Amino acid sequence: MPSPRKRSLTPKTAPPAPVPVEAPRPVAVIDMGASAIRLLVAEAAPGQPVRILEEASRGVLLGKDTFMHGRLGAATVEATLKALEGFRRIMDGYGVVRYRAVATSAVREAQNSDAFLDRVRLRTGIDVEVIDGSEENRLTYMAVRETLRDHPALTSGDTLLLEVGGGSADISFLRKGQPINSGTYPLGSIRMRQSLASWHGSQEQGMRLLRRHIHNVVDDIRREIPLREAQHVIALGGDVRFAAQQMVGDRAGGAPAILGREPFVAFCDQVTSWDVEQLVEQFHLPQAEAETLVPALVAYRELLQETAAQEVIVPDVSLRAGLLLDVAQVDAGQGIEDFSRQVLSSAAALAEKYRWDAPHSKKVAQLATRIFDELKAEHGLGDRERLLLEVAALLHDIGNYVNLRGHHKHTWYLLSVSDIFGLSRDDMALVANVARYHRRALPQKSHLPYMALDREARVVVNKLSAILRLANALDADHLQKVKDVRVIPEDADWVLDVEGAGDLTMERLAALARGDLLTEVFGRKLSFRESRARAS
Amino acid sequence: MKTPGRPRKKEPELFINRELSWLEFNGRVLEEAMDPATPLLDRLRFAIIVSTNLDEFFMVRVAALKHAVAEGDNEPDLADLRPRQQLHVIAERAHEMVDTLGRTLTEQILPALAEHAVRIVPLATLEEAQRTFLARYFRGEVLPALTPLATDASRPFPRLANLSLNLAILLAPGDGEEQPRLALVQVPGGLRRLVRPVGGEGSTYVLLEEVIRAELAELFPGQRVLASAAFRIARDAEIELDDEGGRPYLEAVEEELKKRRSSQIVRLEVESEAGDALLAILVERLGVEVPDVYHVRGPLDMRALQALVDIPSLEHLREPPLKPLPVLDEHERRNIMSVVAEREVLLYHPYDSYEPVLAFLSSAASDPDVLAIKQTLYRTSGDSPVVQTLARAAENGKQVTVVVELMARFDEQSNIRWAKSLEESGAHVIYGIQGYKTHAKVCLVVRRGRQGIERYVHMGTGNYNDRTARVYTDFGFLTADRVVGEDASAFFNALTGYSDPPKMKKLAMAPTNLRERFLRLIERERRRAEEGQAAEIRAKVNSLVDEDVIRALYDASRAGVRIRLNVRGICCLRPGIKGVSETIEVISIVDRFLEHARVYHFRNGGDEDVYLSSADWMPRNLDRRIELLFPVTAPEPRRKVLEVMDAMFLDNVKARRLMPDGTYKRKRPPKGEEPYRAQIQLYREWKRALERTRAATSVAFEPAPAPGPAEKVSSTG
Repeated sequence: MPSPRKRSLTPKTAPPAPVPVEAPRPVAVIDMGASAIRLLVAEAAPGQPVRILEEASRGVLLGKDTFMHGRLGAATVEATLKALEGFRRIMDGYGVVRYRAVATSAVREAQNSDAFLDRVRLRTGIDVEVIDGSEENRLTYMAVRETLRDHPALTSGDTLLLEVGGGSADISFLRKGQPINSGTYPLGSIRMRQSLASWHGSQEQGMRLLRRHIHNVVDDIRREIPLREAQHVIALGGDVRFAAQQMVGDRAGGAPAILGREPFVAFCDQVTSWDVEQLVEQFHLPQAEAETLVPALVAYRELLQETAAQEVIVPDVSLRAGLLLDVAQVDAGQGIEDFSRQVLSSAAALAEKYRWDAPHSKKVAQLATRIFDELKAEHGLGDRERLLLEVAALLHDIGNYVNLRGHHKHTWYLLSVSDIFGLSRDDMALVANVARYHRRALPQKSHLPYMALDREARVVVNKLSAILRLANALDADHLQKVKDVRVIPEDADWVLDVEGAGDLTMERLAALARGDLLTEVFGRKLSFRESRARAS
Repeated sequence: MKTPGRPRKKEPELFINRELSWLEFNGRVLEEAMDPATPLLDRLRFAIIVSTNLDEFFMVRVAALKHAVAEGDNEPDLADLRPRQQLHVIAERAHEMVDTLGRTLTEQILPALAEHAVRIVPLATLEEAQRTFLARYFRGEVLPALTPLATDASRPFPRLANLSLNLAILLAPGDGEEQPRLALVQVPGGLRRLVRPVGGEGSTYVLLEEVIRAELAELFPGQRVLASAAFRIARDAEIELDDEGGRPYLEAVEEELKKRRSSQIVRLEVESEAGDALLAILVERLGVEVPDVYHVRGPLDMRALQALVDIPSLEHLREPPLKPLPVLDEHERRNIMSVVAEREVLLYHPYDSYEPVLAFLSSAASDPDVLAIKQTLYRTSGDSPVVQTLARAAENGKQVTVVVELMARFDEQSNIRWAKSLEESGAHVIYGIQGYKTHAKVCLVVRRGRQGIERYVHMGTGNYNDRTARVYTDFGFLTADRVVGEDASAFFNALTGYSDPPKMKKLAMAPTNLRERFLRLIERERRRAEEGQAAEIRAKVNSLVDEDVIRALYDASRAGVRIRLNVRGICCLRPGIKGVSETIEVISIVDRFLEHARVYHFRNGGDEDVYLSSADWMPRNLDRRIELLFPVTAPEPRRKVLEVMDAMFLDNVKARRLMPDGTYKRKRPPKGEEPYRAQIQLYREWKRALERTRAATSVAFEPAPAPGPAEKVSSTG
């Protein structure tokens, strides 16, 4: 017998009210990876968790083309355009205005990436931004931190955060959750698969070659990252997520999968004993995914074995999740999250590696940022540039590790090949130039690394290195006698109001000499004034 | 995990041949036509259905078997019958059925109609004036539409259109000839088959072919007509059979086959009066085999008689109409989105009105906050209000995506037009999915709400067709459940090719994981039984054919799971076999509404799972179509689904029980108990409940339905 229907007598005729401004707004992120292009549509309102509205993914083997032939083939380009057209329709279906679309190594390294991205823009209206490994690291770190907020791997001890992608492996080393080291290494699963595929010997011999290659790379990694100290391993990437899914099944509510070290190694060993056909049959995997599974899992396995971790944490996060946090925060008016802490700790770790004079470098950094702040109205630069200046200041002397003579040049090349967590290659090129000009020659057109920057960046280098030169001069004796400095306009000139202790003669001479670039850039003469024992 | 398809032990004794099972189903429809308790015009309606069903069956199933034989495909079916054997047993049963149908029509239905002054009479019985009228009618209207064709051995035999009605005429040999000649004339399909001569009393009709036959001398001047006979052929339609409604399927098939006349002839029907000599020549010239010749009593091509079923003045000879109940009142219909946001709404058509579905679409089309509408359309005609509404939505600037499954692959001409115009109004139209038929019935509405994006979903077991919704029993389900909305989005992304097939949380989809899901659910029930828990499966489907599912059900039965199946049509499962299917009961209900809803119900240790689906338990649904399975979890809708299931298994008027030997036996009310006719009982109970609620709320939003025939529901049995 049907029961009486619930019946609401309150009139509900009112048309929907205009959407208030605080209503969540839909945002989208697109991630063009090595083997798939993926879309996330979500909505976010200030102070509310991000809600995923839609996920879509199309298998497109961008990596295969780029890593094998160096460029994206016509069929792959067409497949990409088709996928993005569909994504565009999905986004339009929600009225998405704000989005961030990024491409990683498979596009970054393709020789025809410019033409490709232009076609994407013309055909779909989607602007794709090519990001580098460090930006990838920053974004995934952001997502991991969001997901594993209170996990010991992010609150105490040392943690290895690693993702074996199609083109390369991204590895960060976290200490108490702060990334102090990160890098990108040639352990891309598609690349490894390519070289494996060109091997015509037996399966076992192929595997031996693969292992040897991985061991060689791991040896390199060990030189830069203290793998053995890692007590936790957080593994990201489609292949390890697949392994987790097979080993422990779907997790409720997106909780991370925890895989014991032994079972994980055993699983990897079992999977690597099968060939691609067996994998396709056993797991119903698409061919492309089956092909990369073995190289990727071997890489994870070998890296895990290097560490002290007893388990592998596989959170359900990806580059997309990080992108989404990024976009959602901006969209919710929260601004890009301040990553300066992670950047600076990573910079300090790098400086440590080159046996820095920590008190001096820190003093220079303090004075440089102080001068930067004093001149804010003059230089018109923002927080990002301030951070780059601080990094350059911390690292300006690392060239001494190579040779005291011409150390500013050694600093330049060490920095131009180093990774700092949260800084892109462009950022690093800038930092390296700023650090280089902390002494001796001024920037000039005959300097190739300087000229390799675009005009805008060169202007920034000029301003920042002008400040850095002065700050460095203010600790000329490396004794940290200067406590603080203020820049006071007087007539058309600037007075350096220096608060210090002891004899500041060296500093005075150095400052007046190294103020050369500052004078050139800002058109102000400098004078030096000591003000001891300023009352607070 | 093990995939199906591994070689299995043949156990033919466990399976019923699907063709014979289908013929049994048609036999049950025939029973309704034969049943004196059925109102007279409904008997005629059932008789017509039996004959059109047979037409389709021959064009599709028999044709496929003949094709297999011709190709040398000798693979036996699950019941271990080879194609040739199947053709043999089919012919046997079909001949018997055609005989019974003819007798029922000519000896019972038509004579009974005559008592109500509706007659189809031989031309000879007419009065002189009437015959003169018909002769005039012939010359004025019929003759211009005729093309008499003479045949002889030197010319290729004329190509005859599939299902067309023709006259074969035997002409005396001409000068110098030895053999009589065969001539043909097609009875024009564009003219009314039932001709009404003026001056007769009541409704007296003459068949068009009789009018032509009376004037053969006009057609073949100077020649002597030895004999004539009406006949009809059926050809291989090279398509799949289904009963999803929409435009009469046959029409579509017929249209196509006008173009493709050369496909193989699979059946010849001739009037039972046809003479041997004429028949022999006809059979030889058409190249048909003797078992494929059917002698038909009464008019060939019974579709012409539909006009009689619909005669308005004979209301009392039909089942009283059951006016669809307004589950939602007008106010709720006008605010359907907010109603659905508050509670899930389950509709059971045609008991429940189709209005809420149209209101849902219409509201989506005009709501300024609706961003997008995505919808599947399986065999819809252009004049459907659904199509009109979608076009309006697109014109209003909504993102409208429609996945269209055309009536059949050849149906482009008539359907492409409305699909194109839908495109012109701005909708994104996708013409089916390569290799699969999109059979799922789902509509997704994306709306910008105050708290963010809202998604509303309608899913059903039957097509978006307001007309079939008056005859087919189907569930429709409206929900604003977030997860279902996400799944529906993912489903459409897969369908439109915007994404690779997704993982879904609440829904299951064929061909990706639907079979697996069914097998898991059955398996789970089996395990519970083995653990000693009470375990039960109930399902309501149109057809049960899939071997994997049947074997899983057998396994469950062996473990002691109680299994009750309501299979309207084909059932290849054999119930009541010792040690295999003892706990399985199969019933079939053939009544005034076509049972069409698909329901799957698992006891699950008391935490019952209730699912609705567009899919039957057939390989084609699970492998070659895009289908959806969705759970009904809210208490109210769930109770309603289970109520329907309960009623179906209580029926002892129109329900038949499948016996272990493959025959069906009518259920009868136990002694001293009232007969229970599920379709009528459900309607009555729901109507009463609705009236009670109305009275209780004292606020009438809608006038009570006028007292009329709808009130007097007669109970048969």
